[in-house]
Amino acid sequence: MPDALLEKLRDAVGPANVLTGIELSPYVVEGRTPEAAVFPASVEEVAAVIGLAAEAGRPVTSWGGGTAASVGMPAARAGLVLGLRRLARLLEHEPGDLTATVEAGMTVEAFQAALRSRGQWLSLDPADADRATVGGVLATNAYGPRRHLYGTARDLLIGVTVVTADGSVVKGGGKVVKNVAGYDLPKLFIGSYGTLGVIVEATVKLRPLPDQEELVCVRFDRLKDAGAAVRAIVASDLIPNAIELLDAAAASGAEVAGGALGATSGGVLVVGFDGVREQVDWQRAELTRLTGPFGGRDLRPLEATAWPRLAPAARAAFPVTAAAMAFAVLPSQVAETMEQGAGMARARGLHTAWAAHAGVGVIRAALASDPAPREPAAIAAVLAEWREMVRGGGGHATLEWAPLAVKSQIPVWDDPGAAGRIMERIKAQLDPTNILNPGRFVAGI
Amino acid sequence: MATLNDSRKRELRRELAAIVGPTAVLSDPDELMVYESDGLTLFRALADFVVFPTSAQHVSAIVKLANRENLPFVARGAGTGLSGGCLPAQGGIVISLMRMNRVLEVDYDNQIAVVEPGLVNLHLSWKVGPRGYYYAPDPSSQQACTIGGNIANNSGGPHTLKYGVTTNHVLGLEVVMPDGEIVWLGGKTREACGYDLAGVFVGSEGTFGIATRIVVRILKKPQAVKTVLAVFDAIDQASAAVSAIIARGLVPAAMEMIDRLTIQAVEDAFNCGYPRDADAALLIELDGLAVGMDVQAEHIVAACREAGAREVRTARTEAERQLLWKGRKSAFGAYGRVSPAYMVMDGVIPRTKLPYVLRRVNEIVAAAGLRVGNVFHAGDGNLHPNILYDPRKPGEETRVVAAGAEIMKVCAQVGGSISGEHGIGLEKADFMPFIFSAADLALMHRLKSAFNPTGLCNPGKIFPTKKSCVEVGPVAYRPHAIEEKGLAQRF
Repeated sequence: MPDALLEKLRDAVGPANVLTGIELSPYVVEGRTPEAAVFPASVEEVAAVIGLAAEAGRPVTSWGGGTAASVGMPAARAGLVLGLRRLARLLEHEPGDLTATVEAGMTVEAFQAALRSRGQWLSLDPADADRATVGGVLATNAYGPRRHLYGTARDLLIGVTVVTADGSVVKGGGKVVKNVAGYDLPKLFIGSYGTLGVIVEATVKLRPLPDQEELVCVRFDRLKDAGAAVRAIVASDLIPNAIELLDAAAASGAEVAGGALGATSGGVLVVGFDGVREQVDWQRAELTRLTGPFGGRDLRPLEATAWPRLAPAARAAFPVTAAAMAFAVLPSQVAETMEQGAGMARARGLHTAWAAHAGVGVIRAALASDPAPREPAAIAAVLAEWREMVRGGGGHATLEWAPLAVKSQIPVWDDPGAAGRIMERIKAQLDPTNILNPGRFVAGI
Repeated sequence: MATLNDSRKRELRRELAAIVGPTAVLSDPDELMVYESDGLTLFRALADFVVFPTSAQHVSAIVKLANRENLPFVARGAGTGLSGGCLPAQGGIVISLMRMNRVLEVDYDNQIAVVEPGLVNLHLSWKVGPRGYYYAPDPSSQQACTIGGNIANNSGGPHTLKYGVTTNHVLGLEVVMPDGEIVWLGGKTREACGYDLAGVFVGSEGTFGIATRIVVRILKKPQAVKTVLAVFDAIDQASAAVSAIIARGLVPAAMEMIDRLTIQAVEDAFNCGYPRDADAALLIELDGLAVGMDVQAEHIVAACREAGAREVRTARTEAERQLLWKGRKSAFGAYGRVSPAYMVMDGVIPRTKLPYVLRRVNEIVAAAGLRVGNVFHAGDGNLHPNILYDPRKPGEETRVVAAGAEIMKVCAQVGGSISGEHGIGLEKADFMPFIFSAADLALMHRLKSAFNPTGLCNPGKIFPTKKSCVEVGPVAYRPHAIEEKGLAQRF
């Protein structure tokens, strides 16, 4: 990187907030080191940094807590890491409006703590809440088990401020919970992985904290019976806030069923309820009644500390993971997909763990690299088979984590079909010189 | 605005008829007049053709023809929109989707339905109702408006307080793009691959293409419903009750406010049991599990009483509940009892600003020498001031429009929005700078260019415009051709 550019960056954000050389080690992704990491403290400084990067034609990777830094392909060419940790203030919280405006670099945990002190919460529970930032969670569309009832960022984000590739500060949406003025820009930036602009502020809808919340688990000897129980639950009067289906390996990864499951082909259903006491009690009893006929047994409550272990359960099953894939399928296909996928890997001598937000059809699978590390090609072959399997049912698959050697053999993102061309046109309109996370996202964007 | 000469028009009519059949093309000015307005009759614009396709392939062929001829085109559903969004502002082709009105598939296991855009909103709930399901977004026009129109406007309704608006219920769409290509955005799964194009498409007011198939979520009907009417002697008390309910950590399914003028109009027309001397009433609905419902209802009643409600009553039977809702849902029609015309405004404010903004609305309208009735979604701060006027009195309509603009400015000043559910369309295009900067609008324009680079797909909407061929103003009575032929009579 030219010294002149570094000087300008130091002028823009202060010398202490521009890291270079050895200080960049936390920002190395897939063995690739950025040219510098820059930490602006205001929206204006973010705009200045992006303006400088644009002028110099340097790629910009926005960075919150770094919890999803390795998702997608690494940037095609080295550039700047734009860290948002100094934009971490809660700007507005009006409990009577059930809305809050927050800077992108605030961690989810800090944000939730501030909201909780006034009886409210953002109904989004991504993993790694202590490190993940609000901006990062939006940019990667992260969520956790409670999405079953409360949806994802697209159901909660009502306004967004972004700095676009030309350094302009742009707002979309607003601060009110219902708003159809103009295009829905918040939707555009959710899950766009920093390829269209850098999210700097967000306004979100909140919910009152529930009176009570309870998590229970039910064991099944066969995974497909658990799948049938899920269908019965969603067709019932119950209003669970989470329905998680874990196979035996993931259940041990999440430490929800102790070692009791062993290596059986069974699974564990973990169901969450919230509301007033009598609602939670009634639903627990009803769950027992509903799951019994499908072979559900040993219903017991889990500690609240189990919640954050659920979504990462598949990867937690193995000391070393060879690859992790996420699938979106129809909810009715979840158990079958898990069983078939596990069978495909087993046929190639590989162990797997599977965990699903079963009510909404999102599944995560991890491939173990033990006992003996495999060739990347063998790993990629299973992943390709899995992708083929879910595409056959109208779903799609994202390679959430794998070493670069595997990613170079199988695309990280699924093929969006004809819609990919529209995505390319949007990217070309918003980032014509291709400096925002180039090459990281879907369709080579 | 007719943009074609007669011989070219005859030629194009033949081509359109070859695509959709001769009985599915209108080009006679008397027939076209039916399509010159939507629910906001203040604006009128005449198309060159109205066509009635029955498939995505038809729509695609029509759009390709329009592109070849450099002719604007716009999709139209039932025409119940309230911002002039489906008007052919620059002439060209109106593509009516009313013959594409089938429910193509219902998958109860996965709680989704695939429908065509011309399906009437309520008909979907009728279809899935016997199995215990419903389609949640419930605009007041749901007996007539179409799901495709709901997509264009991201329509809301009373129950969106708890269940969200249209966009929260759409998973995917088959779209005829502005160049005629047929593309799926999103699909049947809950997560799409890549950018959330379905999310961006919903609410784009027909400027990003034409949806020809729509995947929506259907919800299980709640086990129990409880409806409460709270009556207040001062509208400020009703506003305070809204905040008090939210402060208690309750999120009702719906929380609607009805003011004195509206109560009186409704009672004159339908006798729904609202007290005529009240200053305001709140209609509050809870739904969900039967167990625990009474506890929550007690909280609602207590919050209303603390805010000063003089009476709080709960509907004891389904018939009583329906009657209360009838009062709310037919309020717009009831204004006909008290005024020859009215203009529906649509703005959103932070809930905590309700008392201030309602006072300002009354002041603005009074200063214009007019009357206003308020019936609106108080729970999510979505106001609908309805300004009553007489179009035959010279100058009144101009004063209505000016007062409406003032009200929108107040909404913007308190941090709100100029539309909660009716859209920008033609009506509010020039108000966009109240809430968006030039940079905000420039980004939206670039997004539009990615979908609709030629601008032929529904031109003249959303963005502040320089020129338009739309007629604005009161309609002088013109006898329709069928009246002149003695086939119909005006009452």
